[in-house]
Amino acid sequence: MNVKKIAAAGIAAACLISVAACGGNGSADSNNKSGVTYLEIKLGETGKDLKAEITFFNGRTDMGLASYPGKNWESYMKDFNEMYPGIKVKVQTDSNYADSALTRLQANNDSWDVMMIPAVDRSEFSNYFVSYGATEDMDKEIKLANEKAYDGQTYGIATDGQTSGVVYNVKVFKDAGVTELPKTPEEFQAALKKVKENTKAIPLYTNFAEAWAMGAWDAYIGGNATGDPKFMNQVMPHDKTPFKKDDKAPDTHPYAVYKTLYDAVANGYTEEDYSTTDWESSKGRINNGEIATMVLGAWAVPQMKQAGDHPDDVQYMPFPITVGGKQYATMAGNYSMGINKNSDADRQQAAMIFVKWMTEKSGYAKNEGGIPIVKSDDSLPDTYEHFKDVELIVDDPAKEGEEDLFADINSDSELGINNGNGKKIQDIVTDAANKSKTIDQIMGEWDEKWGAAVESES
Amino acid sequence: MTTSQPAVSTAEAVPFNKQPRDWKKIGIIVLFCALPIALLVVFTYLPFFQMCGYSFYKMKYIGTPKFIGFKNYTDIFTRPDLLATLKLSLYYMVGALIQVALALYLATVLAFKVKGGSFFKGAIFFPYLINGIAIGFIFKFFYTRGYVLDSVLQWCGFSLDNLPYWLRDQKVNNWSLVASSVWRYLGQTMILFIGAIMSIDGSLYEAAEIDGANKWQQFKHIILPGIQTILVLNIILSITGSLSAFEAPYVITSGANGTGTFFVQMDKIAHSDQKVGLASAMAVVLLVIIMICALLQKIIMNYLFRDADDGTAKARKHAQKVEKARKKAMRQQNKVAVGAAPLFKNGSSAKTETAVES
Repeated sequence: MNVKKIAAAGIAAACLISVAACGGNGSADSNNKSGVTYLEIKLGETGKDLKAEITFFNGRTDMGLASYPGKNWESYMKDFNEMYPGIKVKVQTDSNYADSALTRLQANNDSWDVMMIPAVDRSEFSNYFVSYGATEDMDKEIKLANEKAYDGQTYGIATDGQTSGVVYNVKVFKDAGVTELPKTPEEFQAALKKVKENTKAIPLYTNFAEAWAMGAWDAYIGGNATGDPKFMNQVMPHDKTPFKKDDKAPDTHPYAVYKTLYDAVANGYTEEDYSTTDWESSKGRINNGEIATMVLGAWAVPQMKQAGDHPDDVQYMPFPITVGGKQYATMAGNYSMGINKNSDADRQQAAMIFVKWMTEKSGYAKNEGGIPIVKSDDSLPDTYEHFKDVELIVDDPAKEGEEDLFADINSDSELGINNGNGKKIQDIVTDAANKSKTIDQIMGEWDEKWGAAVESES
Repeated sequence: MTTSQPAVSTAEAVPFNKQPRDWKKIGIIVLFCALPIALLVVFTYLPFFQMCGYSFYKMKYIGTPKFIGFKNYTDIFTRPDLLATLKLSLYYMVGALIQVALALYLATVLAFKVKGGSFFKGAIFFPYLINGIAIGFIFKFFYTRGYVLDSVLQWCGFSLDNLPYWLRDQKVNNWSLVASSVWRYLGQTMILFIGAIMSIDGSLYEAAEIDGANKWQQFKHIILPGIQTILVLNIILSITGSLSAFEAPYVITSGANGTGTFFVQMDKIAHSDQKVGLASAMAVVLLVIIMICALLQKIIMNYLFRDADDGTAKARKHAQKVEKARKKAMRQQNKVAVGAAPLFKNGSSAKTETAVES
């Protein structure tokens, strides 16, 4: 027999086993090897001669393409290299980002340097990421310094801030005779009714088939529906019935948000066949006036403006809930950038410089229709022209020792608030369409699950 | 080797393996097996046992797991919302049976000379070559109101008002999904059948025809017993496949609107709820259910085909009898020559092999 072949097979087998054996080695050194913090970096001065190649892992596959209508990654990196020619940034994108990023984190190696932080419990941050500095100090320079913080350290800086409202087509509203933007759930239903009666447009397009688009409804239950910055992280994790109708103010609180959807479907103000909605074509349809409204985050606005010939018709309005005569909107971070604790000192410093450049100099937030993260920059992008009278609030962080409580209850109850779980909201739509449950019944079931989880976690 | 069997009638006549062991040959066999076994162990068994381990923990992807014993398993069996999703598998099982029957029919026709036979084989097999996600998108548009299916039905004289919403109406939406999966796998099942039918000796049909058997009798007494193994395999594959139906409901309806199968539910619990332990336990339970189903089918099939005799069962019985007799003779021989006889006579396995080989 051919000895060489046998040897080759043996080697192949050995390689395979060795490949399987590696992975899962992390160093126990202090995370920040270069010792330079975010605040100490002066862009254009610090690390001017640094030579490093870093990998930036993110989910914006579209921005990796030359055909992207906005500014793409290549163009950003060209700008960055004008200031820092020695630092080469390799952009890696993944269309299934939320899952892939968790897998990459589990490997716990240095295959990436900057990453958009996926769903990781706060207490785990220090096992994977480098701290940018004390949250207290960071808070003076950036907005949302608390969002990815644990134990007084900030581990993530948001690329941009987002508030949530409703995308709508101005022309359809005008044709339907809706002259003033609706501010309460009743006014909203009345507006949808006018659209249905006076135009051919679909009053509210649910995007039912995309679970994540349905999951977007969760974004309104905090600040938007209560006006209380403490609600999400401090009240809700201790409230056993957060979804119950508040008899004193039935048009506020999470109940009112989900009821808005339920009523729209029950009254027939949504598309006829929700099971075959199509996300890609919906962007063009709201642009040319076949759809009147969609309930989505502000990030969707630029995409819908670009999807057709009527960019000016697509506008953004606050969610129709008024608390005590005032409208609120929660500002939350988009994905946050985190730096790998496994990278070497040079790469960590290069990564830190890159993140600071992204935040301060790149113009990324504005280009993508988000709110700038730099503290001193108070400007709002054009998208928010109807938000002048709306108070932007940022959710307060959880109390000390309860940083992960919300996440734990969220997972335990399987309700998955604000983590892309659209299944429960799809169920609202089907129950409303088939009249199989009332909104009170659905909210009652949710309260049961949430209450049980609150009990078991405390 | 089968030819040597009739000669074996008494225990003494069984030849012993007198050749020395060929270590080089054994070495090659081991080396050749090493690679596939290593692949199997690394990519199937290790992850599987790890998953079984996970099922006893309360854990997320990231973070410290907490041991909770069998709680995940008791959860599965006490939560009606999880078990109820298994009922959806019944739709897919019905679909699987239709699929096997239809494939068997088409295969019986296409295995023989038919005009344009290759074209039909190709056309029916084609869907299997398309990626499952792509099929999902195709069918989403296929079932959309006023699109392909509705248009075709309108040409046939149906009025749009009388047609259901194929994916919205909870009475039909699961059947719509099942139809897409039957469409996809029909070709594969059929090709397996054709292969099996073609391997049947053609002279059998001639002989049967001379004896006056009609086509149905030929099918029943020649084809059906001839492809028994493949038939059982196909049924097992499609039934177990229907228990773990995933792609169609996941892509076409994202599991909403009463179409979320056990597998889709598992995906949600593992990914969006991050209950890795519970999802692992669900996977283990599903595996056990599938194993039970496969076993039940094997028993039922054995019962159904108890009359279909192609001679192997008889031969096997005969071989067993001979082996028994030989062993008895051996024992007596050993009794006589205690101490004098070598403890191992060329290894015990070599002896049995010569006798049972068929």
